Amino acid sequence: MHKNPILRVCTKILFAPIILFGLYVQFHGDFGPGGGFQAGVIVASAFILYSIVFGLDKGKELFPSNVNLFLLTLGGIIYGGVGITSMFLGEEFLSYNVLGSSPQSGQHIGILLVEFGVGLTVSNVMIALFNAFAGFKSGKGN
Amino acid sequence: MYLAALIACGISGILILVRIILGKTTFDRILAINSLGTIIVLGIALHGFYSGRPEFLDIAIVYALINFIGTIAVLKLFSTGSLGDIQK
Repeated sequence: MHKNPILRVCTKILFAPIILFGLYVQFHGDFGPGGGFQAGVIVASAFILYSIVFGLDKGKELFPSNVNLFLLTLGGIIYGGVGITSMFLGEEFLSYNVLGSSPQSGQHIGILLVEFGVGLTVSNVMIALFNAFAGFKSGKGN
Repeated sequence: MYLAALIACGISGILILVRIILGKTTFDRILAINSLGTIIVLGIALHGFYSGRPEFLDIAIVYALINFIGTIAVLKLFSTGSLGDIQK
């Protein structure tokens, strides 16, 4: 499939706009449809498309497995860290109001950070799942 | 006008469904499913404008993207038998 010029060129043209659209969905999520989960899946789909067209080895060269697992856990740590931080500042778990100078800016910062953590985790879980399933050695039958 | 276009999308979608059910080979079916995805993208965009909520365009773009990637994945799975290997 990596020898097909149409697919190769299409993938290289589409790769950056897909990630850009994922970031748009991530940070525009408070005004339109979107949020961390959807953005994570869209960003992951760019890397999955690259892995499908150029092969799993090239995909792992682009996005190594240890970086993948590191970012996967980092997203969860960001999510939990925001919650614990608001606990240390004297409120309940994940109560954003105390994070900023005013409750409004606190909500803004909190939602942005939590959605960022969710997006990071979801995208890396998707890539890890694809790598795990595509790495199976199966018979060439059918 | 949007309603007429939506109805046309529905009718062509039903015709494509008939093609999917009757499809002679696997590749006919894959092509038909890809066309059905295109019709659904059109339908989502039209529905968004019909109900006065143009935010549906975002969802239409995502649907077109997933449709493209899904078709490539299914084609690769059928032609090489695996998602990961490079075709020799």
